[in-house]
Amino acid sequence: MAEAAQSGPTKASAGPSRSLRNRRLMTHAGIFLTLIIAWELASRAGWLDPLFYPRPSNILNSFWLIYFKNGNVWEHLGVTMSLVFMGFVGGSILGIVLGSLVGLNGLVRRFLKPYVIVLEATPRIAVAPLLIAALGFGATSKIAIIMLVCFFAPFINTLSGVMNVNAEKLELFRSLGASKWQILRKLVLPDAVPIIMAGERLALTAALSGALVAEFIQRDQGIGSLILVYTRNLNMASSFACIFTLTILGFLIFRGMELVDQYIAFWKYEAGRERVSAKRRRAMRS
Amino acid sequence: MNVERMPNHAASGEVVVSGIAVGKTFADGTVIALDNTTFEIKRGSFVSLVGPSGCGKSTLLRLISGLITPTSGQISVHDTPVTGPRRDISMMFQKATLLEWRTSLENVLLPTEIAGTPTKADKNRALDLLKLVGLGDFAFSFPAQLSGGMQQRVALARLLQTGADILLLDEPFGALDEFTRERLNTELMRIVAEVGATTIFVTHNISEAIFLADQVFVMTSRPGRVAKIVDVDLERPRPLSIQTSPEFNRLVEDVRVTLGAV
Repeated sequence: MAEAAQSGPTKASAGPSRSLRNRRLMTHAGIFLTLIIAWELASRAGWLDPLFYPRPSNILNSFWLIYFKNGNVWEHLGVTMSLVFMGFVGGSILGIVLGSLVGLNGLVRRFLKPYVIVLEATPRIAVAPLLIAALGFGATSKIAIIMLVCFFAPFINTLSGVMNVNAEKLELFRSLGASKWQILRKLVLPDAVPIIMAGERLALTAALSGALVAEFIQRDQGIGSLILVYTRNLNMASSFACIFTLTILGFLIFRGMELVDQYIAFWKYEAGRERVSAKRRRAMRS
Repeated sequence: MNVERMPNHAASGEVVVSGIAVGKTFADGTVIALDNTTFEIKRGSFVSLVGPSGCGKSTLLRLISGLITPTSGQISVHDTPVTGPRRDISMMFQKATLLEWRTSLENVLLPTEIAGTPTKADKNRALDLLKLVGLGDFAFSFPAQLSGGMQQRVALARLLQTGADILLLDEPFGALDEFTRERLNTELMRIVAEVGATTIFVTHNISEAIFLADQVFVMTSRPGRVAKIVDVDLERPRPLSIQTSPEFNRLVEDVRVTLGAV
């Protein structure tokens, strides 16, 4: 079967060779180090105002202080991340459920559409002070703000996912005598999974921003209020340490979501297909 | 269904699909897709519907499948009127329309899942069908890991998994290259003969229509109707080379004249 040979050679030539990758990595590290050293020297030479642009060595020192010597960042980080998690889960579920309902029901869609457009045009974060006024200070209003900024991407993506079902697949299901429920469960929802996951990625990134805004407003706990406190005390090195912490977190979140996507929407990835294919084969044998 | 399939036995079998004065109009009666068509199709026969675009061949197929209902007249399958999709009829489309998140085996099992819960026997049957279409080693591959031709083979196995004895194929290999299509056509003939199904095959390729069929329904457009039924008295199994024989060319000529005469 000559048709089958296609997946073979791609694995070996998946990317640039190892030596080329190493060389590129070295180049990146070199440029990064040069930038850091230039920053440090510029600061020491007095070209950069150390008040607003703290030296890299000071930032590094602040990392050590807030993580180990004082260890005060952990608590705030924990608070922020649990808010992000709860707001993200809540906003996502709300978005996916409402998106499915609106997408599957033409009548609901017709009446809701103008409001969706209005909501889409409004910067969601503008509503944050109103949410605090309504729900009071504390975790509840923070989670509500995060849910608000998280809601939209999953909502819109679920909506378009369940609405744009392939007409030919739908005809296949109809010709097989499938019920509405079977069409939903076996065709519409699985078909929408990749686009819903794309919405979830956007939502999780938005959740982190939402949490920071909520903490900026409420200034009680969390990494956002910590940044606020350090900046007000002109402890810029510690502020930078917090910001870089968020950079790393954002990156980890992004990568984490990619990994989750490779598991949930596995059929979109070559590695995922090969993994699940092998798994199903083993399951059948035993 | 184990009756040995004989060439040109179509004239003697029992009628399984019939239409009486079937008409279908679209757009509030302004477009006549199919006009006053009467036909009979016998058990185990292979019928090709051939004609230009707009001759109503796909419409006729969809009417038989129950996906659409006639504006006038009636279609019966196994002596009962067709009112909607039914289990004794199964349809295959131009595109494989496989579900990307399911393996070949799971795709083949879809009709069984829709009818109920698949049993161990259903699974074994699906595996056998995948072997029958030459994909025994690809039961656990996902559609994206298969070529276009292999995807259509999976769709063919899924078609057979329904257990329907009437198979409707709407230009099933039309999107594939010439070589793959010829090979799959040859296999299709072997497979439907093996399972003893009644097959209705839509195509716009005259040679393909004749090569596969016991009977060719030659259809013409405006309004769509069956202009002539050509009996194909060629022996089975048919090698690809039969397409250069004088008898074959006489049949091609016959179809061409019918199509050109309108």
